Amino acid sequence: MDQQEANILTVEGLNVSYGNFQAVQNVSFSVRRGEIFGLLGPNGAGKTSTLSAVEGLLKPESGSINVDGYNAAEKPLYARASLGVQLQSTSFQPELFVIEVLQLYGGIYGLSLTKNDVLAILRDINLEDQAFKKFGQLSGGQQQRVSLVIATIHNPKLVLLDEPTTGLDPQSRRQLWERIEAIREKGHAVLLTTHSMEEAESVCDRIAIIDHGRVIAIDTPQAMIDKHREDKEVIAVSRRGKITLEDVFIALTGKAVRA
Amino acid sequence: METVIPKTSTVLAALLKADLTTQWRNRRAVILTLIVPVIILMSWKGLVAAAGGPFVLSNSITIGLIATGLMSYSNAIARDRDKGIFQRLRVAPVAPWTIILSRLIVQMMMILAITTLVFIVGNNYDKITLTPAGYAFSYLTAIIGGAVYLSLGQMIVGRITSPETVSSTTRLVYFVFIMVGMFGELNVLGKSVHDLEHWSPYGTVKTIVAVSMEPGKWNSDTSTSLLLTIGYALVFATLGIKWFKWNTK
Repeated sequence: MDQQEANILTVEGLNVSYGNFQAVQNVSFSVRRGEIFGLLGPNGAGKTSTLSAVEGLLKPESGSINVDGYNAAEKPLYARASLGVQLQSTSFQPELFVIEVLQLYGGIYGLSLTKNDVLAILRDINLEDQAFKKFGQLSGGQQQRVSLVIATIHNPKLVLLDEPTTGLDPQSRRQLWERIEAIREKGHAVLLTTHSMEEAESVCDRIAIIDHGRVIAIDTPQAMIDKHREDKEVIAVSRRGKITLEDVFIALTGKAVRA
Repeated sequence: METVIPKTSTVLAALLKADLTTQWRNRRAVILTLIVPVIILMSWKGLVAAAGGPFVLSNSITIGLIATGLMSYSNAIARDRDKGIFQRLRVAPVAPWTIILSRLIVQMMMILAITTLVFIVGNNYDKITLTPAGYAFSYLTAIIGGAVYLSLGQMIVGRITSPETVSSTTRLVYFVFIMVGMFGELNVLGKSVHDLEHWSPYGTVKTIVAVSMEPGKWNSDTSTSLLLTIGYALVFATLGIKWFKWNTK
């Protein structure tokens, strides 16, 4: 398998602008088949813009995005069919029951799901008894589970998760991490954005730190810590003597609070 | 494993089922949309003898079409866009036009429901009957007329992003159309307003719907109204599509 085949996603020289503001500048990275890849960055760093370009929601100014061999600009439907997506704030038609939302998205991906099929899917995530509730009536953790199951309903090769654990309590967060790892065990790759260094260290095989629209580092979490543990800036921001990924992150992106 | 793109018909069927379910769960709003033309039809019973059945029926249908295009369609689109429902659909392998087509099919079904209801009430309460050809042509012109207001709704939701502002704008336009349309039609507001109303989107739609109820009375004035109706729909739809953004952020 050559490098191109080993990667489920290849982003090269990506540029995204909003008017005069360049949100993403010459971003390049790749996600390998079966790996969990994290995009880390402060608020406004360009994580969601990068992800939106991969999802096809934003048209990049330049650069290329290749999903499972399909150029996203030339074959957008094929690229999107290879993706499963959980957006940062997921919203489904508020009038529909959870079972109907799953049937809708199953249909959109060409699956014909009977009521029993959907109930079995919901049983897997311990939400069978919520099938006839509306999405808005579920708790935050339950909503995340439904969103994740919808993102993977068509067995996609790459799952994109935009800040999946934001707002979840520790129990729900741990459970979601296990579900993300279960996705990987089924052979899928995962690209997620996160603010949580703990999440990146615990779940991600590799991470990219992005700031001011540029990728400033790509490596495994441990390799990134090892590479920077002697840096003066990292030692200066370290709080307990032990160098963590968060120390490296703060040293690389600065201490200033972002809007 | 080769990637398979779902058939457009499968995607459209899934979207349509969800949109029809949504419409059904919003049946209070649907009933309100249906009730206004019926109230006008019943309150104008006294005009049937003087102005004729087609005059009363066509005004009632036109008001129903305005309510569907301006109030139901545009407000639903504005809400779903604001909530990110479209963004979620667009990350799936769905051609964007299928999302809107599904919504339009539901509204077209509403137009047929309004037209049918007006005919039933007109027949039972006002004793207005048409020939089979009159009924058939009226459904056709109601669809064409409905396209004007759906495209006008699309234009409003294309230009304005906030759902609250879309709601207030469509209410205002609805009110203006009803007031100027009905009172202009009855010559209450003077000849210039009457002439203006006659060639307005309200007047042209009302004209083609009214004349289609008596196809034998079709003349050059009606043909001009039909051309203008199609022109309005094309202009509003072009601008509505050009201005429309899937995301308000």
